[in-house]
Amino acid sequence: MSKEDDDALREKIGKMMADGLQTQTEPFPKDNFQFEEILKELRELEAGELEKKLVISGFVDHPYGEDEQRCLECMYYLVHRKWCDLPELAVPVDPQWWCRLWRI
Amino acid sequence: MANLLWLQGGACSGNTMSFLNAEEPSACDLVTDFGINVLWHPSLGMELGDNLQQMLKDCISGSIKLDIFVFEGTVVNAPNGTGEWNRFAGRPMKEWVRELSNVADIVVAIGDCATWGGIPATAPNPSDSEGLQFLKRDHGGFLGKDFKAKIGLPVINIPGCPAHPDWVTQILVAVATGHAGDLAIDEFQRPKTFFQSFTQTGCTRNMHFAYKVSATEFGQRRGCLFYDLGCRGPMTHSPCNRILWNRQSSKTRAGMPCLGCTEPEFPFFDLAPGTVFKTQTVMGVPKDLPAGVDKKGYIKLTAAAKTAAPAWAEEDIFTV
Repeated sequence: MSKEDDDALREKIGKMMADGLQTQTEPFPKDNFQFEEILKELRELEAGELEKKLVISGFVDHPYGEDEQRCLECMYYLVHRKWCDLPELAVPVDPQWWCRLWRI
Repeated sequence: MANLLWLQGGACSGNTMSFLNAEEPSACDLVTDFGINVLWHPSLGMELGDNLQQMLKDCISGSIKLDIFVFEGTVVNAPNGTGEWNRFAGRPMKEWVRELSNVADIVVAIGDCATWGGIPATAPNPSDSEGLQFLKRDHGGFLGKDFKAKIGLPVINIPGCPAHPDWVTQILVAVATGHAGDLAIDEFQRPKTFFQSFTQTGCTRNMHFAYKVSATEFGQRRGCLFYDLGCRGPMTHSPCNRILWNRQSSKTRAGMPCLGCTEPEFPFFDLAPGTVFKTQTVMGVPKDLPAGVDKKGYIKLTAAAKTAAPAWAEEDIFTV
């Protein structure tokens, strides 16, 4: 995807959340086995099912939890591309967003 | 001339194969340049049957001086402590090991199996295997924690699955030439010259570790293997990225996560499904952090490193 495509999709995702998209932020996976269960759900989705992807992974458009976790510190986040590099997500994101697949 | 005897217990012969591939020095150099007389070795020994048995007995009686006793593989105790599952030259191998260790000037354990039990000792350890002086992290093993060979040193442990060929031959040269006393060893009796630094030391992916850029799939031409793919390089003591394998490469240089095979716990998590090639986490934070780093410091460091990461760190760097 080009940078313009990334930016457009990021904006689209941001608007979906701003418009009140309810996502599954809990439970946060306690260990990598629970994490893997979420990944399995994501792998069953068709390529274009963006909304379901956001719902299952628990996207929110703000830092989350006591520690104010956010994409910026997540190990899957590529700072310069503003991109989530987790293969099952692979979407443009904003550093201030968060999802329950956050890992550090 | 130093007499060396090499026996093999519960093993796959991997350390023998490694030893035979040594280059600096080679197995031949040990004989021609460093005065080592190989009394017997599973792949090189000439004696068979009664002759071999007699040679072992002569070592025990002292008619043949045993300078260096090398053991590869676990000490097998099954069934019921008899060791009958691993018979050699007419009796359980464990009996030879006990008696030869007691008469040898120096005892060297080669590979994970001989050092701490390795894969055979993984739960439920059906062969009742143990290392010469350790069972995993527990000091003791087959010879007991107070064991010392005749020159006063405990078993010298050269772990690895297998041990790098040159770790083996260089230590053998050191002990055969009278420098055993100069070897500084760590709490697990590993020579510090090889096992003080980390596997990560010299890793070509260190810049990705520093900037917290993760490899998320095998074959990626960028990214550190620690964050997602279970690499144990930052917690494992070995010189794999200083003394390269085949003089060419290492696991991590080739994109393969370090499995931590020079540490007593190897194989980690008893090889439970989902634990191999996957970083184990607790609430999103790695269960095993780089040696000496606490959780709070790790989180702070991550935030700072991500903020400072240059754009090139996110691009493919290992291009052809």
